[in-house]
Amino acid sequence: MVEFELEGTEQYALDSYQWLLERILMDMSISNMVERARLIIRPDQTLFIVSLKVKHSSGKRPVNDIAELVGQEGGTFLTIKDEAFAPRLLATLWRLYGRERVQQLTRLEIFVEGVPVNEVSDLSLDPEEEVRSQLLDAMWRLLPEGLKVRNEIYTDDVMTIVATEHGMTVDFLEEAKKVHKNMIGEAA
Amino acid sequence: MYEVLMYDGGVHKVEQLYELIEDVGGFILQKTQVQVMITITMAIPAEDRPLIEAKTAELGGKVVEVPLAGTEIAVIGPTLGRHHMPHPICDIAEHLRRYGAITIVMGLARGRGRKTCQISASEKAIIEEYDAAIFMLGNFKECVTHEKIDLFKDIQIPVVTVVGPELDSLPHCEALVCGVGRKVERMRRSEEIAKLEEIADRVKEVISVRRQEIEEDPLFVHPSEVKDALDDMDAVQECLRPAPVVLHVDGLRVKIPYEKHLKELEELEVYGRKLKDIATISNCRLGDSTMIRIKTKAEVQEMYVPKVD
Repeated sequence: MVEFELEGTEQYALDSYQWLLERILMDMSISNMVERARLIIRPDQTLFIVSLKVKHSSGKRPVNDIAELVGQEGGTFLTIKDEAFAPRLLATLWRLYGRERVQQLTRLEIFVEGVPVNEVSDLSLDPEEEVRSQLLDAMWRLLPEGLKVRNEIYTDDVMTIVATEHGMTVDFLEEAKKVHKNMIGEAA
Repeated sequence: MYEVLMYDGGVHKVEQLYELIEDVGGFILQKTQVQVMITITMAIPAEDRPLIEAKTAELGGKVVEVPLAGTEIAVIGPTLGRHHMPHPICDIAEHLRRYGAITIVMGLARGRGRKTCQISASEKAIIEEYDAAIFMLGNFKECVTHEKIDLFKDIQIPVVTVVGPELDSLPHCEALVCGVGRKVERMRRSEEIAKLEEIADRVKEVISVRRQEIEEDPLFVHPSEVKDALDDMDAVQECLRPAPVVLHVDGLRVKIPYEKHLKELEELEVYGRKLKDIATISNCRLGDSTMIRIKTKAEVQEMYVPKVD
């Protein structure tokens, strides 16, 4: 469950936007990726801030952390240890070396033809990249359509958007930064 | 006074019902046949309803109340963006169709936002061609009560406003329904369906008031009588658009081009009088359609009073 923090001048707006965000995340099947959400809604000032913290952010994972690499004649043999990364690893290898040189021998065994071990071990995968793009989409779906002036702040596992209608003020930006820092602070 | 009803039953011996409708001086407004089942929307004199009910019972069908039949209603959202469409605007439009209304969904070009929301004169003119308008205004009380009310301030037809926050009242609208804000999924829970019912009830009330106003100075002919004459026109029979003739509370929308068929429409005979004498015929704002506003009995009689110098 996503932990919500709501702040604003209208209770109905806060409750309904919490419900909307829950439904949007559920609709996109990413509810389990969000740990915390904070909403600040002040319709009288035309201010809308939404900040989301991603769960289990581990940053980029090197390939040698995900799979065991063994150098063989004519290429590199990989045995995947963390199955969750298998599809992404295979897709990355296909993208880099082409389907003809990357053979999936069994579900968790891959042979990369003509590529030395050190080259494969230098690779790393960023699992959060896709999540971040989905989160951004969810936040854009949530934000009221009329609030077109938007600023985004993002770090590894927290993403904050501040939106207003006319001009972005320094106060709004400062408040968004404060919210963002607070969300990171909780993560540290 | 005519009453609009819907027959829902089988096609077996349904010709008997057609004959009875004709005998009592009624009209068939719409027929939809699906295999052996048929629904017939009809306008009949109110006093002959027991006869129709007896016949439908004999045929094994049933008579369904369609209080919004003979109306065309616009459901309007701030924009057609995914923030407002398809839910709940389409849910409302779909629900009203169950009560016999023809509904359209409309998004304003610049209706989103708080201080920046606008409605243009042409949008207002398009909306005013309908019998009633439903405005969906969103979740922010401050925004609705201070800014969005300007969207429907000058609209000359009855307006039902649907908003999220609980409000006691709202100016410039005939009815208000609270508790329906932005949605990202279909309104299918029991409490949401109850809200759709509430919206339909408010629309029924608003249309009923409009009909009572018309009754005080009745129309020269009922729109269904004009429809009966229009149905014989070649242009209407050849029209491939769904529902080529749409009934309004005080007139009709005929989906044939105004410029091309104006003369023909003006000369159309309804109870021995030309249509141009008993109705105002004008171009439709949405193009390729013609609006017909039927004059009241008083207006038509006034035309025939000899002028004394």
